[in-house]
Amino acid sequence: MDKPVGDIGMERDEDVTSLALLASFLRLGASSFGGGMAGWTHREIVERRGWLTDDEFLKTLTVAQVMPGANPVNLAVYIGLKLRGVAGACIALFGMVLPAFAVILAMSVTYQQLKSHPEAQAVLRGLACVGIASSLTMGIKTARRLHRHALPILMALAVFLMVGVMRWSLVAVVAGSIPVSVAATFWVEREKSRG
Amino acid sequence: MVDEKLLNLILLCIPLSLVSFGGGQTIVASLQHQTVDVLHLLNGPQFTDLYAISRAAPGPGTLIVALIGWEVSGLWGAILATLAIFIPSSILLCILGSYWQRHRRSAWAIAAEKGLAPVAVGLIFAGVFAVAQSARFTPLELATSLGAGAVLLTTKTGPYPVLAVVGVSYFLLSLGGMA
Repeated sequence: MDKPVGDIGMERDEDVTSLALLASFLRLGASSFGGGMAGWTHREIVERRGWLTDDEFLKTLTVAQVMPGANPVNLAVYIGLKLRGVAGACIALFGMVLPAFAVILAMSVTYQQLKSHPEAQAVLRGLACVGIASSLTMGIKTARRLHRHALPILMALAVFLMVGVMRWSLVAVVAGSIPVSVAATFWVEREKSRG
Repeated sequence: MVDEKLLNLILLCIPLSLVSFGGGQTIVASLQHQTVDVLHLLNGPQFTDLYAISRAAPGPGTLIVALIGWEVSGLWGAILATLAIFIPSSILLCILGSYWQRHRRSAWAIAAEKGLAPVAVGLIFAGVFAVAQSARFTPLELATSLGAGAVLLTTKTGPYPVLAVVGVSYFLLSLGGMA
C-alpha cells in the first residue's frame, strides 16, 4: 500500500518518452483557460494515456493540493517526477507553464500599447472588478468548507487581519499560523472523534 | 541583465513561492504591499491593471509575477520572475512529496491537510482587500464587483462570460463618456 513513490509507474517507464510527456503537458497548459485543471489532467494522464491509475492520480492530487504552489502546476510537476524523475518534473513544469506564459506576455504587450487610451483603461477597470469578484467568490467557497467551529474561523480572521489590514509579512504569518492551525485542527478532530 | 529592481523582485518571489499554500490567490496581498509600498516597483493603479490582466488570462494566478517582471525589466524580468515563483515550490514538492504521500494517513497529516484551509481563506480575503483598497473603486465599479460576485456565486457561469460582458460594457460606457 505505502510503497515509495518511485515504485509507482516504474513498470511503465519505457512507455513514457520525454516527447510524449512534453506533448501532454503542453496540451494541458494550453487548455488551462478557466480552471478545472484537475479534471483535464485526469482525462489526459489517466484516461487518454493510461500513465497512472485512478488511485495513483488521487494520491498525487492530494500532494499537489497540500504543498505550496499553484495546484495545477504542482500536479503536473509531481506526475512528471513519478513518471520520469527529475527530468520529467522539469518537462512537466515547462510544458504546463509555457502556453499560459506566452498568452500572458502577449496580453502584457497589448496592454503596453493600449494603456494610454481611455477606453482600454475603462475595460481594465471593469476586468479588475470581475477579478476581485472571482477571488472573493473563491474565498467564500473555500470558507464554506471550513469546520463549523470557532477555531478555524478565528484562524482565518486572524490571518486576514495580520496580512490584509496590518500588512505583516506573509512569510512570517504563514510560518507562524500553519503550526497553530494544524494543531488546532488536530485537537478539533480528536474532540469530534471522541463525540 | 539583472538590475537591482529585478533582483528585489526575484528575492521577493522565492520565499513567497515556498509559502504559497493554495496558489496565486494567497500571495496577492503580499505581492501588492511589497511591490507597491515597500519596493516601489509599481504604483497602485499599475498593480490593479496587472491584477486585472492576470485574472483574465489563462493559467495559474501566480503568473501575475510574470507581468510584474515584464513591467520591471522586460522579457528577462518576466522569465526570471516566473522561474523564481515556480521553481522553489516545485523543488520542495519533489523533496517532500513522497514523504507526505507515505504518511498521509497519520492523524497529523490529515490535520495538516485540513489545517491549511483556514490560513488560505484568510490570505485570499487579504488579497481581495488589498487590491480593492488600492483600486479605489467608484460606486459603479463597486456595484460591478458585487454584481459579478453574485453571478459567480449563485450560478454556474464561468468567469469568462462575465469578463466578456463587463469588458464590452465598460468599453461602451467609456465611448459614451460614462466610465
